[in-house]
Amino acid sequence: MKKACCRVAGAVGTAVLVLAGCSAGSGTDHADGPVTITFWGWAGGYADAVKAFDKAHPDIKVDYQEVLPGAKGGYQKMLNAVQADNAPCLAQVGYESLPSFAAQGALQDVARYANADKGDFQPAAWRSVTLGDAVYGAPVDTGPMAMFYNKKVFASLGLKPATTWAEYKAQAKKIHASKPGRYISSPYLNYDYAGLAWQAGAGWFATEGDAWKVTMGSRANKKVADYWQGLADDGLIGKAPMYDQSWYTGLGNGNIATVIGAVWQAGVIKGGAKDGAGDWAVAPLPQWKPGENRVGNAGGSATAVLKGCKSPEAAWEFAHWLSTDKKAYGGLVTKAALYPAATELLSLPQLNRGDPYFGGQNIYKVFAEAAPKVGTGWSWGPVMTKTVADLDDGLGKAWAGKGGTIGDALRTAQEKTLAEMKSQGLKTSQ
Amino acid sequence: MITRSTAAGYAARARHRRPPPRGKRDIALNKRSLFLFCGPFAALFVAMYVAPIVYAAVSSLYVVKRSGLGLAPPTRTFEPFSNFAHAFGDKDFVAALERVALFAVVQVPLMLLLALGLALLIDARSARGKGFFRLAAFMPYAIPGVSAALIWSFMYSPDSSPLNGLLEPAGISIPFFDDDVVLWSVANIVTWSWTGYNMIVIYAALQAIPREVLEAAKMDGASALRIAWSIKVPAVRSALVLTAVFSIIGSAQLFNEPAVLQPISSGAVSSAFTPIMSAQAAVTAGNYPYAAAQSVVLAAVVGLLSFVFFKLTRRGEPR
Repeated sequence: MKKACCRVAGAVGTAVLVLAGCSAGSGTDHADGPVTITFWGWAGGYADAVKAFDKAHPDIKVDYQEVLPGAKGGYQKMLNAVQADNAPCLAQVGYESLPSFAAQGALQDVARYANADKGDFQPAAWRSVTLGDAVYGAPVDTGPMAMFYNKKVFASLGLKPATTWAEYKAQAKKIHASKPGRYISSPYLNYDYAGLAWQAGAGWFATEGDAWKVTMGSRANKKVADYWQGLADDGLIGKAPMYDQSWYTGLGNGNIATVIGAVWQAGVIKGGAKDGAGDWAVAPLPQWKPGENRVGNAGGSATAVLKGCKSPEAAWEFAHWLSTDKKAYGGLVTKAALYPAATELLSLPQLNRGDPYFGGQNIYKVFAEAAPKVGTGWSWGPVMTKTVADLDDGLGKAWAGKGGTIGDALRTAQEKTLAEMKSQGLKTSQ
Repeated sequence: MITRSTAAGYAARARHRRPPPRGKRDIALNKRSLFLFCGPFAALFVAMYVAPIVYAAVSSLYVVKRSGLGLAPPTRTFEPFSNFAHAFGDKDFVAALERVALFAVVQVPLMLLLALGLALLIDARSARGKGFFRLAAFMPYAIPGVSAALIWSFMYSPDSSPLNGLLEPAGISIPFFDDDVVLWSVANIVTWSWTGYNMIVIYAALQAIPREVLEAAKMDGASALRIAWSIKVPAVRSALVLTAVFSIIGSAQLFNEPAVLQPISSGAVSSAFTPIMSAQAAVTAGNYPYAAAQSVVLAAVVGLLSFVFFKLTRRGEPR
């Protein structure tokens, strides 16, 4: 028995050794020959962009490695790598996670190289990558929101895209009444839900001096929460979880009639719901008060410089190039529906033509009009992954009518976030 | 096949051959070969097994400290009891421990009974198609845990579950993700995956029962049931204890199945559903030492449970 144990342990040990040999380091080589920079990301089209960069820049070689999308494990991998001192130089990090990365000491300040290029980016996007005087990366894209709607379903019911949330609710009833399995929308979780709050100016975090304030349970947040809870209570929201196969099926067959989402959602819908080609269109967000024009933001990410990068200058050169090169970014627009953070790229031809999936509509026109109206003053917290994990625990139940409301979920997430922050010694004003 | 007489012959010859007298050189040589043979294993064992455990245990004694807005890198201070006090006061973590305990109490006996039953059936004299049933029961084990969970997450889908689709004409719909049901939805996946594995272990033990004993019982007029209950089950007792301990450890480390079901569970599978998921949540919050403390607590509980279980089942066993 004992012998067998040892033999198994030995075999496992050998396997681990072999595997360890496969994992790549992120060594940079200054001496001679090109500098090598490792870059972890997941957006479609990054691999091709990197190839183009390598061709044009013989002195810098970028080694692109695809990782899981941040919330699905990518961020964990990056943070673990920083802990273990073998992180890549550059990583795709969403704006919502940058403060959390900074709070873990996982980022490197590149203000020295970056500040000269500040003018290339939209001010709101630049604000997302800076904390105090530090600059942690190059903003790549932003996520102004709009309403994706199934034009075919809307037309068959004689509906036009709602301009107010009150009208949206009335339409939700009509849509569900037309067919039992048909709903106006699926439930929204974490950052997709945050976009809804953002539009209403219902901030989640704020800073007062050197102390955090968590406002997820604020009155403004309650208004948004109560509205969506009302829809859920009336049975007007479907069950298919976003990004699940059942969601894509619903988008394709008209059982989910709208998606309130950011511009990059166009790529998600197009890629996942091929059956819906030609049916979908984009309209501006419904408003809380008639005549208003307020827009939320969901997502958007930066090419962040991680701690331990030995060639920050070259890293910045690539990050800046990825965000501003016309040809490369054109590919990102087509493949991942990214919406540029760089001012000059807004005139890209890819952003100014019709898309057959959306019935020939030039959807980027809607987003171009929305982008300047995105509410400013939104801040993300320092333990964001924990915050949204706790939030989702409550939101899932609230949407499914299995106890608690969306408002409760927000309040619980606020309490747990505060407790976590306090236990780590962060200062809070609550 | 070595018959008894030849085996005895070998032994006799070996006794006659006298070992050469040992010099100092021989002992040194022996020592060297000992290091040569054991060295690689010992090195790997220390590097891949002992070191991480020690590292986790040590880091659980530290506390992550930030200050102000926390935008500066955190520092670690030595506070040996803080994380453990935190863990036992953490409602979510304690609930997770209780949850896997309940899981183990219900699922492990059920699964082992099922595995024992299957093994006895296949071992029965009158069984037909043994090879087929053995393979069929074992098959789910060959599917990696995450893939199995993905397949089942499709079966459980709140929107388009084919199981509920089949049951619909009968007016039944199973709420797989209700708060009281979800743990058993997970248990179902685990049972499906592991029953075959446990069955094979028990079946192998059944094969080791001397045929003469079974023959004698039959001659004495014992029925097949009686033979199973009075001879076979006691004979595979140690295999049952072994599978039970493995299953208890497996329950404590529950992770794959609930983690895969989480996104479609409408919040029924929370982010701290099992102790390991809870530790994982601490990692995502950047609190590595707290995650280490939770892991240490879990390891201690499992170690204690396994020890007690072994002790209890050893009682009254012939030495």
